[in-house]
Amino acid sequence: MTHRNIKIGVTAFVLVGAFTGLLWSTLAEGTEYYKHVDEVVASPKQWEGKRLQLHGFAFDVRRKPDTLEYKFKVRNKDSVIDATYTGIVPDTFKDDAEVVLQGRLTPDGFHATGVMAKCPSKYEPTQKVG
Amino acid sequence: MASLGTLLLLATFVVCSYAAVASVVGARRGSRRLVESGTGAFYLITALMTVASAVMINAFLTDDFSIRYVAHYSDRVQPLFYKITSYWGGLDGSIMFWVFLLSIFGSLAVYTNRERHRELIPYVVAVISCVQMFFLFLMVVHKNPFATFLTGAPADGEGLTPALQNYWMVIHPPSLYTGFVGMTIPYAFGMAALITGHLDDAWLRAVRRWTMFSWLFLSFGLVLGMIWAYEELGWGGYWAWDPVENAALLPWFTATAFLHSVMVQERRSMLRVWNVTLVIVTFFLTIVGTFLTRSGVVESVHAFGEDPQLARMFSAFMMLILVFSFGMVMYRLPLLRARHELESWASREAAFMVNNWILLFCAFFVLFATMFPTLSEAVTGERLTVGPPFFNQWLPPIGLLLLFLTAIGPLLAWRKTTLSSLRDQLIFPALAAAAMAIGYVSLVGFRVWPSLVCFSLCALTTGTIVQEFWRGTNVRRGATGSDHLTALIGLVSRNKRRYGGYIAHLGIALIMFGFAGKGFEREEQVRLTPGQQTVIGDYTVRYDALKVTDDGQKQMITAHVAVFLNGQEVDRLYPARWSYRKHEDAPTTEVGIRRTLAEDFYIVLGGFEIENQAAIFQLNVNPLVNWVWLGFGVIAFGTGIGLLPETVFSFAIAKLPVPGAATTALLLLVMMMPGVRLKAEQGGENVVPIAIKPLEAELQGQIMCLCGCRAMLNDCAMQFCHSKVPQKERLHALVEEGKTRDEIVDTFVKEYGGQDVLGAPIDKGFNRLAWLFPYLVGAGSAVGMGFAAVRLSRRREQAEDAPAADPALDERLDDELRDLD
Repeated sequence: MTHRNIKIGVTAFVLVGAFTGLLWSTLAEGTEYYKHVDEVVASPKQWEGKRLQLHGFAFDVRRKPDTLEYKFKVRNKDSVIDATYTGIVPDTFKDDAEVVLQGRLTPDGFHATGVMAKCPSKYEPTQKVG
Repeated sequence: MASLGTLLLLATFVVCSYAAVASVVGARRGSRRLVESGTGAFYLITALMTVASAVMINAFLTDDFSIRYVAHYSDRVQPLFYKITSYWGGLDGSIMFWVFLLSIFGSLAVYTNRERHRELIPYVVAVISCVQMFFLFLMVVHKNPFATFLTGAPADGEGLTPALQNYWMVIHPPSLYTGFVGMTIPYAFGMAALITGHLDDAWLRAVRRWTMFSWLFLSFGLVLGMIWAYEELGWGGYWAWDPVENAALLPWFTATAFLHSVMVQERRSMLRVWNVTLVIVTFFLTIVGTFLTRSGVVESVHAFGEDPQLARMFSAFMMLILVFSFGMVMYRLPLLRARHELESWASREAAFMVNNWILLFCAFFVLFATMFPTLSEAVTGERLTVGPPFFNQWLPPIGLLLLFLTAIGPLLAWRKTTLSSLRDQLIFPALAAAAMAIGYVSLVGFRVWPSLVCFSLCALTTGTIVQEFWRGTNVRRGATGSDHLTALIGLVSRNKRRYGGYIAHLGIALIMFGFAGKGFEREEQVRLTPGQQTVIGDYTVRYDALKVTDDGQKQMITAHVAVFLNGQEVDRLYPARWSYRKHEDAPTTEVGIRRTLAEDFYIVLGGFEIENQAAIFQLNVNPLVNWVWLGFGVIAFGTGIGLLPETVFSFAIAKLPVPGAATTALLLLVMMMPGVRLKAEQGGENVVPIAIKPLEAELQGQIMCLCGCRAMLNDCAMQFCHSKVPQKERLHALVEEGKTRDEIVDTFVKEYGGQDVLGAPIDKGFNRLAWLFPYLVGAGSAVGMGFAAVRLSRRREQAEDAPAADPALDERLDDELRDLD
């Protein structure tokens, strides 16, 4: 191998290494686990404090009068989690709506920072909130 | 009619296979007649697809609900425009539209190149026909848009999804498809060159314009999608790194890379493998994009539904493309060797290479992050998702790096740049950047420093471009002795691609300028009852009233909001929610936007409580958003200049390039849209059941309240309106007297002075004009482009030696510019 090839090889190696390292470290902060309600209920301790996207069906949706604070429950296959959210919700967010909640699980329920409602029909964007 | 459509698709499929086989066999046997018959069959595909499209549109227009697709995406009350655009509103139709466009573009490309690149044509025909066959196959066996109901037809359709009933959505898909489909042409020519072994740079020249054309429409489609998201989805932003958006962005990156690296091959005969690879990858990514959004592989908020069978078909097709394309590249590798080596890293070709690597990295990164949930599920079994923060962490620094290259690139000479010439040329742009930085720091300090960097780089880029134009003009003025303007026009027309490219770069700088505004955005969510107000930034917002109206197709709930800036009322906005009869689950958000060049004030009616009239608002202040749309207008203008054929230039310069001017005008129309929207909201009659005569109700909706609210009588929201009550009483009295409609209108015009008491006449007409405009522009530019292409192909033959002289002159001009002090 010539001197030049070694130089190119080392440079490429360092660059690729640096990129991969950066990618990996930022990926860890940017990722969220996509979980269904029953999976989380099965072992709640494992998921507490982690960033989650929780998939389930909302029901028992209530709003504190004159505020934007919502309390509701999400269910998937007989497993139920209490959840809270403050802010504007999508129109399709109501009882029995299929939702994906972004947020964290705490011992007293799921604190959502974002609510996405799944589309009732195909090729239809839902509103993004939060 | 449905069976006619199916029959046409089948016939097209057969003709396609004939075109592919006949041209390949003809080329191999050297039979000119067979090749010509193949080409003829290829033109026939266009004719057949045109008829099939006409059948489809006719089915929509005549409300033929026996066809499933029509029943699913249209209904009787749908406005005419949406009936036509429903053609590409769903999966099946969009595939058909795809084939239709591909057949048109293919025929055009083959027709214009039939003499100059005779040896390539048979294979171009074959490759395009094969792509068409795949999509036709999809339609015939799996997604037939002409499929009918087995049982009786429904009485009415389901209607187009409300969110798609928006003017931007009407032009966004065709534009994006034009970009996507157009990328097939360079691919077909590249493959033809590989198959025939004619790997000189001729095929590149044949596809150069097609790539630019497709790139322009791809960019246009992306921008339209952004505008649509901004106006219709109502979440305050325009780009959310959704898989569907990303899918369209991927080929854009590689196409941009190709546009740059192709110049290196033309100039220095380097990067030949690379260019072929980029063409293949770009085409491949357009198919991947379609696949991602149509098959349900990646979960998205607005993907078409899941469809494993479609996914399998697409996977097979994609594998085939990859194996075939790269197999050909490897087979021809000996012929693709570069004729020159890179001489120095401080050269323009090196800058292009870095630019290419960065763009390719962007494409790779976006693909990786988009596929990450699917990948992680496959590898670890856990579904991990990455959100916008991940993209936003990575891509802005890379974008800034690209912007820096945009600024530096034009200053570098081909082959090798000396440090001293680079330094001399950097002085003016660096001063511009420094001035911008100082201005920024003195205004806002070091807060939001990424925006500071971005603004400075924008100034650097602009400085470079202005300097390039200035120097070029001066050199030319010295040579020809003409005035500045003539010299400038002469300069641009001598090297349209280069200076058109600079203008496009200027557009990029403007867009980045707009992006940097995101560093200052604000968002609030608030619940107000009528009369209450709230403060966001410098704005005070007062919520006045909530109105419910209905126009037969949908129920509209509109909030009336007054916006104050520094204590002065500056605007009234009408954010609304519309519930379509057929889609009551999914009301659409109609955003209220006050646009200025400095910032947009953006208000969304998030929810409401009918019982106490309370409304929930989302308020956004989005600085510099309009620069993004404006920047695109500039890009379109620059690309338009680059696209102009040589011979038409002197003629066209007097009239401005057609696509550029058209798109710029279209985007300027953005500024006018609030006015259109306002009127659209206030049409329709009041649903509050009051026992008044129909005539009176009708006139209440047509006569304007004169208190200054700009609303109709039945819609005036002013709390202390001095005009509504007397006007209404007068109207009531006139109706009771038994006057006719015209008499009453006359009376009003006479008593209240002037036509401005009438709200209606402008309404419908202007709305329609605004709708028609994009179509006229689109049709106009298509005709113009076709005309120009034909003209170009003819002229080239006459002046065969002209291109040969051109590079030498370019080089000289380049050198002169370098030597200039």
